[in-house]
Amino acid sequence: MGNEPAHTITRYDQELDRLRGIVARMGGLVERQTAQAIAAVVNQNEEAALEPPELDPEVDALEREAEMLAIRILALRAPMAVDLRVIVAVLKMSGDLERIGDYASSIARRAGKVEVLDGAVSFSALRAMARLVQENLHMAVESMVENDAERAQEVWKADTAVDELYTTMFRELVTYMMEDPRKIGPCIHLLFVAKNLERIGDHATNIAERVYYAVTGEMLPSVRPRGGAARTDVEQPE
Amino acid sequence: MSIEVPVKATGMTQPLDSTAASRDVQSPVAMQVRGLNFYYGTSHALHDISLDFPERSVTGMIGPSGCGKSTLLRVLNRMYDLYPGQRATGEVIFDKQNILNSGVDLNVLRSRIGMVFQKPTPFPMSIYDNIAFGIRLHERVSRSEMDGRVEDALRRVALWSEVQDRLSASATALSGGQQQRLCIARTIAVRPEVILLDEPTSALDPVSTARIEELLDELKTEFTIAIVTHNMQQAARCADQVAFFYMGRLIEVDSTARMFTTPREQQTQDYITGRFG
Repeated sequence: MGNEPAHTITRYDQELDRLRGIVARMGGLVERQTAQAIAAVVNQNEEAALEPPELDPEVDALEREAEMLAIRILALRAPMAVDLRVIVAVLKMSGDLERIGDYASSIARRAGKVEVLDGAVSFSALRAMARLVQENLHMAVESMVENDAERAQEVWKADTAVDELYTTMFRELVTYMMEDPRKIGPCIHLLFVAKNLERIGDHATNIAERVYYAVTGEMLPSVRPRGGAARTDVEQPE
Repeated sequence: MSIEVPVKATGMTQPLDSTAASRDVQSPVAMQVRGLNFYYGTSHALHDISLDFPERSVTGMIGPSGCGKSTLLRVLNRMYDLYPGQRATGEVIFDKQNILNSGVDLNVLRSRIGMVFQKPTPFPMSIYDNIAFGIRLHERVSRSEMDGRVEDALRRVALWSEVQDRLSASATALSGGQQQRLCIARTIAVRPEVILLDEPTSALDPVSTARIEELLDELKTEFTIAIVTHNMQQAARCADQVAFFYMGRLIEVDSTARMFTTPREQQTQDYITGRFG
């Protein structure tokens, strides 16, 4: 994936490079969106909250561009083997990246609504989760840009910890809400923030799966290692 | 006529999906090439080829010019015997017999293993006689039975409706695509078990090509088919398994889906993705 010898037809290589360039740019943008969204919530940085939604149209436009170019290459070049795998991976990854951008924007928009909880509710689980998700997203984007199947597999494994942290946060927030019904509103917003982070982690894992397939031709097992086995248990507090 | 071989010995890798798996495991083998070497005089053209041709399925053979794929096809019905200085060693097992042995009746062999060439080769005679000619060589049939055999062969290549009113017209007046279908009709009229096709559509337009490909799909329910093609997409469309040759060696053979999505060998990947030379 990208480390192959050159095609006999130079234009084909140029088109594939352009396609890879588009998703690499998308990767950079959504990493920025996610970082700013997290800063907006965790550090109550109002300015940071503005950026993720502002970047959304650019990410959306890149997704469309990737899709059009991928369709064009499929139609005109009849790609095979590693080329075919890369193009299919790009088609799917661009969708994942676009969703990540949306989740980041959604987190940023909630930043102001969870402000009141600062101090009243522990943000430590959220901070830990945000750090992990950011790390995973960064590794996923890197594995995508560098065609690194090994790193992709690391991301895929690391998502368990994110799921576990989400479960922990869920429990905590349910407890806070039961203790003080006035906190229900902001707590629910915070829960959505956590859920969106967890979804970003899932999409990063999807990207890692696509990279792994594109590079090796093998699919990672359909059931990824999952944490939060107790997730359903926490939904019915006694 | 089938020869059962353990899957392990076929050199096939783990198939891509369970459908392919069941086919590979259950499909008996019609022809089995083992340790085949071929020489044009002193030039060593095929090196130690071992390959199975599963019964009633299409094996596509691909590779750059001079890789040996057409040479292999010509070995499979001893076509090379027509030329001096060409020889093959090793085994091609067909119906429990090594067809490379000197005692093999070549006329019978070639009626059981038919061949269709790159350029349509209709005989300079009527459409009817093009079909009847081969049948007469091998069998004695009545006029009415012959009529039936000719019609049946033409129907199976979807040519009947186009030529039924002019069976006595010269075959050379047909279009290229029709001529090629006539040649396939002529081949199947003698009821072979294996059909070898050497670039059968390279001289045809896309519509005629599609018709031949559609025809292969029907014919494979009855015949074992081996097709040499330069057109990768054609191999992808028609073949159940694909073999890639390079410089006289068989580099890789696998189910078509696997070959074109996840080939194991770098040389195969470079060739099918257009990164060669």
